[in-house]
Amino acid sequence: MRITLQQDLDSLQANLLEESELVLRALRGSINALREADTELADEVIAFDDDVDRLYLKIEHGIESLLARQTPVATDLRFVLAVLHSNLHLERMADLCVTVAKLTKLAHGLPLDEELIEGFDEMASRAEEMIRVALDAFVRRDVEGAESLVDLDELIDRTNRRVVEHILELGGDPALREWGLRMIIVSRCLERIGDHAVDIGEQTAYLVTGEFREFTDASHPERVDT
Amino acid sequence: MVSTTPIHIDALAAERPQPGTREVVFDIRDLTVSYEGNPAIRSVTFEAYRNFVTAIIGPSGCGKSTFIRCLNRMNDLIPGAVVEGTVLYRGEDLYGKDVDPVEVRRRIGMVFQKPNPFPKSIHDNVAFGPRVLGMTKDLDARVERALKQAALWDEVKDRLKKSALSLSGGQQQRLCIARCLAVEPDVLLMDEPASALDPIATTRIEDLMHGLKKDYSIVIVTHNMQQAARVADMTAFFSIEQGEEGHRAGILVEYDVTSKIFTQPSDKRTEDYVTGRFG
Repeated sequence: MRITLQQDLDSLQANLLEESELVLRALRGSINALREADTELADEVIAFDDDVDRLYLKIEHGIESLLARQTPVATDLRFVLAVLHSNLHLERMADLCVTVAKLTKLAHGLPLDEELIEGFDEMASRAEEMIRVALDAFVRRDVEGAESLVDLDELIDRTNRRVVEHILELGGDPALREWGLRMIIVSRCLERIGDHAVDIGEQTAYLVTGEFREFTDASHPERVDT
Repeated sequence: MVSTTPIHIDALAAERPQPGTREVVFDIRDLTVSYEGNPAIRSVTFEAYRNFVTAIIGPSGCGKSTFIRCLNRMNDLIPGAVVEGTVLYRGEDLYGKDVDPVEVRRRIGMVFQKPNPFPKSIHDNVAFGPRVLGMTKDLDARVERALKQAALWDEVKDRLKKSALSLSGGQQQRLCIARCLAVEPDVLLMDEPASALDPIATTRIEDLMHGLKKDYSIVIVTHNMQQAARVADMTAFFSIEQGEEGHRAGILVEYDVTSKIFTQPSDKRTEDYVTGRFG
């Protein structure tokens, strides 16, 4: 039993879980700031991204050192590669939360549409659930759980399409137009967070099966059984 | 809504060794070797391919050395050793009645863990085999060619008459490789060829293996898993198992393309060994 290697692997997983908790806080903060038009909270979310980045770098350095010193193979190697990818996906999610916070500040003072805000709330809740499912499946090495993310992602995508359609309708109202344009990007950010969660699910499947595969393929949607 | 046919792009497929398309050099079937009635390896079935480096890895006592010694009948020299099963070399039974063990060892050379040059000059070490076998035509050219193939020529060309024992350990090992090559073998067997060498000399031997596999088939026993990962096209993992009659003997657990053994081994025992959780 290689005790140091096992400790290093355990610590990578613990750090990844901690990073996911930070992302969940950033997501909740950014959506609360948007709902309440709270620019102070938006600033906090933006500043909070440094914490996520620090943890992201810590994981990166941990992997660099582990690869150099422990030369992991087989499951251990797949685990390290899966953490390497998932770490990046989590960091990107936090960046998307920052974008939502920045848009909240830019849209501050503009007339807004309550129905849309509710739509974002729904998307954010689904995104939160997806992050939890993704990390839970990763920790339990649960391929079925990871694959369930595809269905959850479809729900976010559907809300995203509904939100965009609603914004297009708002386009006729000059008072709401600027706010609406900014909110299209918010919607896109939340939808992307879901995509990153699916990508983490794919890493779980790779970790368990040793096979790289995409759960869905945007360029060949006909291959996907809907 | 998960894709029914997995979208699986194997980007490295073209670079991966394709054993199925290779000529088989050794076809080993149900090989059991015993020393005075105690089995050392049991029921090993295995194919080694032409122009590949094939690595044998496994814990101490799993029969790696016993196995490789069967490939050029070195076990014949051990009293009480009994070899059962078949070892076909290019389709011919190595242990057939009419087979000359000396000719076997010319075609299937062996390099050992500890460099073992004769206490003779560098030149005479390499010329020894060809002389014994009557391959004396253009002997100097033959010696030069073998030393060049073993990547030693540039270091010794000005002191061929000096004693081989004046060379460093790494140079001595390359001299032993040159000694094998001088009799124009087909296969090189290497039993822990770098375990007595420093990291730089080890790298030279490993680089040499990469170069030599264009012309030779190589089978290497190594306890250094990273070495197997670096040099081998195919890797066989041997382990020890208790048989029904209570004897512990080496068995072949898994044999596959090296990258597969070190990323997705199929057998839990291989996984445990390569990840350092056993052995």
